[in-house]
Amino acid sequence: MKDRLFGRFVAPAILAVAAGFFLLPLFAMLRFALQNIQVIDLRWSNIFEKWSLAPLWSAFSDDQFGRALTLSLQLAFGTGLVSLILLVPTIVWVHLRLPRARSAVEFLTILPYVIPAIGMVAGIMVIKPHARWFLNSDLSLIPFYVVLALPFTFRSIDTGLKAIDLRTLVEASRSLGFGWIPTIVRVIVPNLRSAILSCLFLTVAVVLGEYTIADVLLKRTFPAFMGEYRGSDPKGGYGLAILSLVVTTLIFMIIGFVSRPRSMRRPRTKGTT
Amino acid sequence: MSALEFHRVRKLFGATVALTDFELAIGPGEFVSLLGPSGCGKTTALRIAAGFERADIGTVRLGDRDLSPIPAHKRNMGMVFQSYSLFPNLDVRRNVAFGLKARRVDAVTIARRVDEMLETVQLTGLGDRYPHQLSGGQQQRVALARALASQPEVLLLDEPLSALDARVRSDLRDEIKRIQRETGVTTLFVTHDQDEALAMSDRVGVMSNGCLEQIGAPHEVYQSPASPFVARFVGSINEIPSAAGTILVRPEALEIHDDMANATWTGTMVASTFQGPSTIFEIRLDVVDALVRVHTATGRHHSSPGDRVSISMKGTHILID
Repeated sequence: MKDRLFGRFVAPAILAVAAGFFLLPLFAMLRFALQNIQVIDLRWSNIFEKWSLAPLWSAFSDDQFGRALTLSLQLAFGTGLVSLILLVPTIVWVHLRLPRARSAVEFLTILPYVIPAIGMVAGIMVIKPHARWFLNSDLSLIPFYVVLALPFTFRSIDTGLKAIDLRTLVEASRSLGFGWIPTIVRVIVPNLRSAILSCLFLTVAVVLGEYTIADVLLKRTFPAFMGEYRGSDPKGGYGLAILSLVVTTLIFMIIGFVSRPRSMRRPRTKGTT
Repeated sequence: MSALEFHRVRKLFGATVALTDFELAIGPGEFVSLLGPSGCGKTTALRIAAGFERADIGTVRLGDRDLSPIPAHKRNMGMVFQSYSLFPNLDVRRNVAFGLKARRVDAVTIARRVDEMLETVQLTGLGDRYPHQLSGGQQQRVALARALASQPEVLLLDEPLSALDARVRSDLRDEIKRIQRETGVTTLFVTHDQDEALAMSDRVGVMSNGCLEQIGAPHEVYQSPASPFVARFVGSINEIPSAAGTILVRPEALEIHDDMANATWTGTMVASTFQGPSTIFEIRLDVVDALVRVHTATGRHHSSPGDRVSISMKGTHILID
């Protein structure tokens, strides 16, 4: 009886409060950005009035917008690629040869999540005088983003590897004549497709949301552009922020879709001829 | 010259001894099984041959080549694993062709060879199926075809039947033996199932604690075990305490008599179990408190539980521990 009461009323009520907690500020942001009404005049009564995408269009037409978005997408692509090249062989090696080191590696990958990005900025300041040639390039953000994305990228690849019989597949490939690198390319990567996709999408989400490091290194990434644009046109700036949230949400929905357990997994039951 | 030879191979995992002074020579075209309880080192020996583990001491030779410096992918060995090891992203044809691609064989030859192999394992027509669309038995057949497609010098079988149910296991057992005979490939088979080892092999090596206790033809290992361990591990055995030690004797090496004279032991029939062609009698001995089993051809002897009987040994298949 108690359980039914909880399932019918209490749980949906908690869900509604939590959803309201997240959605109301977003909705307020949306009204601020896209309703052509003074903030002081916003009421429930004029909730459907004077909506316009004009602030977004004017943000889009800013000549910095395209450049910033392109840079962020390039960074996302580079970060994803470098993460995969580093992580897939490393995690395969840890799974096969150093299984006892797995928890230590997992702990290391969590650090960027625990230590705020400003901690890394302090580190960058130390190396800055010695590495100007490197830090001058916009793409110098890639290694920092690889580290920032580690908590997410490590977990998606690690989970993908746990779902396959890694040792047997690697040994089968090697006994058939392929060395380590062809084995990773021909056997492991194709069987990690959904894990790799979620790793890439998570990288995009991290790159599209990172502001601190880009700002300190004076790189005009999309989040840095958004921050700056908000100063000159608050409505357009918040419109972009909402758009960025929508894109990130869509990315997570795609990850959820591609990483569903496939019904076509290899059967591990005893078979009949 | 032996096709595959282990010479004084030793392997430790931490403080655990997996293999110690392991010696084995397999002749060309021979089918040798390593039989033993889990943890006896049989899989380690196979994995050292495959190149997945390194021997701490000793050498493994393939023909006249020392395998120690050669990595797994250059050893030209085919291997079938215990767990289903087909590549889930490739269909049957591409799984079978995998090793040929590694050897950069041309496409026409690959296609012909894949057809041949699928015919050999009787899976013609299933080439475009994916592993998840096959039964366990079919998957192991494909794994066998894949291992043999590139004509390896040695075929390594790591308990390939143990994940299958009884009927499929027995069918595939016959199939593997037939294919091995037809292809003539030197084979090292690891199993803990004595029926498989005895039925399939030219020679059986029985292992215990990292050592080869005995190697010989299946009938030798069964009938003339070199050690009490082999006697106890292979087949069933009666253990009868005596002044000289424990007498180990096979159930079919004992005879039952109604006549109580000239008997080695006397006792009371406890149970009889009809098993078609043979019947198993269980007898409690009088002098030493032991329960022995005697296998006789059905119809040879008629006793009921409670009857007094005598037992003698046929003279062979006896070992004293």
